[in-house]
Amino acid sequence: MNGSAWFTQLLPEWILLIGGCLVLFLGATRSARSSNQLPFISLVVVLAALVVSVLRPVEGLATTAAPGLLLTELTNYVRFVALGVGLLLALVNWHQPISSERGEYLAMMLFSLLGVLLTASANDLLVLFFAIELVSVPTYVLIGLSRDDSRAPESTVKYFFLGAMAAAVLAYGLSFLYGVAGTTTMYVVRDGTLQSTLALGAGMDGLALIGLLLVFGGLCFKIAAVPFHFYAPDVYEGAASPVTGLLGFVPKIAGFVALLKIFGAMDWALPTSFLWIVWLVAAASMTFGNVQALLQQNAKRVLAYSSIAHSGYMLIALLVGPLAGAGPMRDGVLALLFYIGIYGAMNLGVFALLASYQRDAKSIELIDEFKGLAAKAPIAALALAACLFSLMGFPPTAGLLGKLYIFSSAFSLDQSHAFHGPLVALAIIGLLNSAIAAAYYLRLVAAAYMQSNDPDSAPVPKEGMGARLGLVCCAVAMIGLFVSPMSLVRRAKPVDVVLTGNEVSTVLTAAPEDSSAVVLAKPLDSESASSR
Amino acid sequence: MSIETLKACGIIILLAPLLGAILAGALGRAALRGATHFVVIGGVGTAAVFAFVLFGEVLGAHGEGVSETIPIYNWLTAGGGKWFEVEFLIDPLTAVMLVTVTFISTLVVIYSRDYMRHGDHPESGYERFFAYLGLFVFSMCALVLGGNFLLLYLGWEAVGLCSYLLIGFYYPKPEAAAAAKKAFLVNRVGDFGFGLGIFLIYITFGTLNYGAVFDAIEQGLADGTLETGRLTAIALLLLCGACGKSAQLPLHVWLPDAMEGPSPVSALIHAATMVTAGIYMVARCGAIFTASTTAMTVVAIIGAATAFFAATVALTQTDMKRILAYSTISQLGYMFLGLGVFAAGSAVFHLFTHAFFKALLFLGAGSVMHAMGGIIDVRQFGGLRKLLPWTFLTFMIGALALAGFPFTSGFFSKDEIIHHAFSAHWLFGAVGLVTAVMTAFYTFRMVFLAFFGEERVPEGVHAHESGPWMLFPLIVLSVGALGVGYLGFPGHNFHHFLEPVFEKTFLAHGAHAGHAVQDAVHGGSEVAKHAASFWSKYGLLFISGALSILAIMAAWGVYGRQPWIADMVRASAPKAYNLLHNKYYVDEFYDRTIVRPLRTLGRICVGLDNYLVDGLIFVITWIPRGLGYALSLLQRGPVQGYGLTMALGLVLIIWFVLAG
Repeated sequence: MNGSAWFTQLLPEWILLIGGCLVLFLGATRSARSSNQLPFISLVVVLAALVVSVLRPVEGLATTAAPGLLLTELTNYVRFVALGVGLLLALVNWHQPISSERGEYLAMMLFSLLGVLLTASANDLLVLFFAIELVSVPTYVLIGLSRDDSRAPESTVKYFFLGAMAAAVLAYGLSFLYGVAGTTTMYVVRDGTLQSTLALGAGMDGLALIGLLLVFGGLCFKIAAVPFHFYAPDVYEGAASPVTGLLGFVPKIAGFVALLKIFGAMDWALPTSFLWIVWLVAAASMTFGNVQALLQQNAKRVLAYSSIAHSGYMLIALLVGPLAGAGPMRDGVLALLFYIGIYGAMNLGVFALLASYQRDAKSIELIDEFKGLAAKAPIAALALAACLFSLMGFPPTAGLLGKLYIFSSAFSLDQSHAFHGPLVALAIIGLLNSAIAAAYYLRLVAAAYMQSNDPDSAPVPKEGMGARLGLVCCAVAMIGLFVSPMSLVRRAKPVDVVLTGNEVSTVLTAAPEDSSAVVLAKPLDSESASSR
Repeated sequence: MSIETLKACGIIILLAPLLGAILAGALGRAALRGATHFVVIGGVGTAAVFAFVLFGEVLGAHGEGVSETIPIYNWLTAGGGKWFEVEFLIDPLTAVMLVTVTFISTLVVIYSRDYMRHGDHPESGYERFFAYLGLFVFSMCALVLGGNFLLLYLGWEAVGLCSYLLIGFYYPKPEAAAAAKKAFLVNRVGDFGFGLGIFLIYITFGTLNYGAVFDAIEQGLADGTLETGRLTAIALLLLCGACGKSAQLPLHVWLPDAMEGPSPVSALIHAATMVTAGIYMVARCGAIFTASTTAMTVVAIIGAATAFFAATVALTQTDMKRILAYSTISQLGYMFLGLGVFAAGSAVFHLFTHAFFKALLFLGAGSVMHAMGGIIDVRQFGGLRKLLPWTFLTFMIGALALAGFPFTSGFFSKDEIIHHAFSAHWLFGAVGLVTAVMTAFYTFRMVFLAFFGEERVPEGVHAHESGPWMLFPLIVLSVGALGVGYLGFPGHNFHHFLEPVFEKTFLAHGAHAGHAVQDAVHGGSEVAKHAASFWSKYGLLFISGALSILAIMAAWGVYGRQPWIADMVRASAPKAYNLLHNKYYVDEFYDRTIVRPLRTLGRICVGLDNYLVDGLIFVITWIPRGLGYALSLLQRGPVQGYGLTMALGLVLIIWFVLAG
């Protein structure tokens, strides 16, 4: 580690930080507030960070750039996805908010993205905690600033109080882990491999288990999983649509990346009882999310419940982890990373539509307000349909592949694994849920296409092209990733090698055979082992 | 030849029409409007230019062409480390198909610019039309370029979709909507078999890549691990698809109705390109078909039967486009016959020449239709040769080529197929020859009725010659209809170019089967043999040429001079006439045996669905709704409640783990 590594290795993060500060200060001047300067600067900042992270990826196994940070392939992937969706977010938020706090608003968005990037690189439990909170705190502000009516403060307060509670739970859990492991460092590079310092393995005692459960609970709030999901519908409804699009992606990717890191640090060698908890949370999130979405009339509440359900799908992939082997149809880590990326875009697409049309000078929210859209704005309606089809998992969209990767990874776990049966059952629950989910997504499509042919009854486009451009980009990305899924999969592929890779097999062969706390992870089957 | 060049050409050929279609679709209505044709002409034209570049690359390879599989990228994983790839297969067959498709498409798109407007006003849906055309060219090129069966299937279905959209272009018209539906459904029947065939290929060989499959067949046949029965099954299933797409018996019924689409569509999709996909597929899968004598015999019989059957129907039709449609079915039958008698080179050659003269005839018919205000029934007009001099001239050239008049392109290509048919079985040859006579007769019946005799136009129609946008493609195509035959005769350049493709399949098996195919293709390689075999080789040319001229003269005699003969024939054999005029009642037969029973079954199902299934569904959907309602009681708004539930949940989780 030398002095300049501080700067060069973390250049994308620095760009976001400096850019965020710049936007914040410029926002104080009157002239910048009124023009398109600030959104433009934010877009350029995100784009610059993205370009830098693509042109100068982290090379090799891992790079220690600064104390508490470890840059790996995971960093590369998360930078790519978060900044890629970040570009879309910058577009969708172009005209948001109309009030005078534009500088603060856009700066908070950039800081939140910075938090996601740091989560991916955190190598210390404390840094991880701070990174996660760096994601969350700006979102409280964003909701508050997003609109003028009384619902925004209500949302902010709800989200803030519950978020504070979740943060406390998370911090408490992390303190248990520290107490048991005696260190807050997650990985060290030793003998040319990345090795976990937290892996408690089969020797996991009650304290460590409580710690893990608390951490899992705290992160479940970030990803909006049952039973920590209650805030989602109310908060989504209260915030303006562009912010909701952000809320559906930024905390979720941070939460899942943190979960991946924690699971990785445990080498996926987790007690069965803990796995059952994750199983229950996944099943409940999918089911509760989908059935409650069926009853909603408000598109934002529908999407909030759908967001809960999607966390359930992704938890399946988290459970499988790298245990089923390598490659897109087997690797749970890859499935999860792929899904979180496309979920960010397809979910944002729908919110972008909500953000770009209005009725009676108010943004559309109710499903009925979609009517006539196809007649009035065929391109927007088509893009909306593409995003919704992707959320449903229908061809020809990336959503189909995302679901395929997740479910098939659950099915390809070796039969001798203790958790094989439950995972297959979970995947079947997931498939049934996808069918239920189609009902409410199709309601949105039907409202846009079938309720009226009269352009005069359609919602009116708002001023500014930003959100509509974002919508079209989201739809194009969904179709494009169906045509060429490898362009994203290729970036996610090396991640599991870093997180688990060799060390899964080395640690696990060392794990004791006697296992009352059943060790899920076994040496991988010969096919996937040889492919590494 | 560099692979990089081929790859770049292939990608441009695919993407340029797609880009044109997207621009036309996205900006057509909003911005481009009446100028939409420019983007599609640009896209398709670019594709044509690069198709010629690609053709040149393949031609210049070693003087005789090559076969390259060019991977583009991994598309979908099939599990177990296997991939479905997006890849091109570029060989002389691909090159010929690409040039044909893109060149004809360019001309048709240019023609459509004037055809799709009245005076200076574009028809409604003008943008939609061009977007579909661009999409079609993209799909067709994907079908031809694809290097595995998955891409073939995707392209196959995509051209089917475009065909459906374009037949139903005038969808407010009930006939057009019905015709589109019919085309789609009939093709589903064929494609069902086609899909099964591809599944069977994957099960048998574990891959869909052309090269890998064909190599595996060669290997399996050599060491006896592969049963011919399996190959026969695959071939027959694939043939189902080909019969649907290329309108062969018994799935030909959709093509005549497809003439409800605008004339340029009939010319491009339903004559020159899409319907030849079946021929392309069989030629491409020669390794599968030629390994099975049964399959080859079936191909030849279907081809011969269709050629004969469709020609007889064409004798009695009065709608110009329908006559041409049946003639297309008949000519496609010739191509299948050619494939079935191991003369794939000749079949592709006929495909190539047919594309020119049939597109020309359809565009000519379109020009007549445009001038006659949408009327196309030859009973309602006549003597148009002075009114539409250019249309007449070019149509005449197309008709001569179709009739196989000596030294036009159709003459050479059709004769080759008949020649090979004779060497397979005299019956095939005889059917081919009789059909050729009928072809010449019905073609000139149409010409004499429409362009000769007393000048008649439908009431209220102001007949006028078409503008330059329509005449230019007609003239270019008529040059092609006259000239492209000389690419294959007398030098056999065309066949030498394609030879590497068919060397191991059609040519080798043809030689084994004892056909004189090799000889004919190599065209007199031995001087000594030359004189002796002169009559066996060229005798047929003279015979069929003479027959063609005689048939044209007969048509002139009947329809030009003595119309009473036709009436007399019709009156003396009303049953036969009605049988032909009603197309052997095939549609009625299908209606009675398939459509109506299915409809009855459908009604029963609807009844069951409405009462039984819906009742069940109502009960089932009540479960998630009820659950949702019950859960929504938890979701009431106060933040304290949420916090409490969260904390309780956490306590429950920890209790569960520690207790369990």
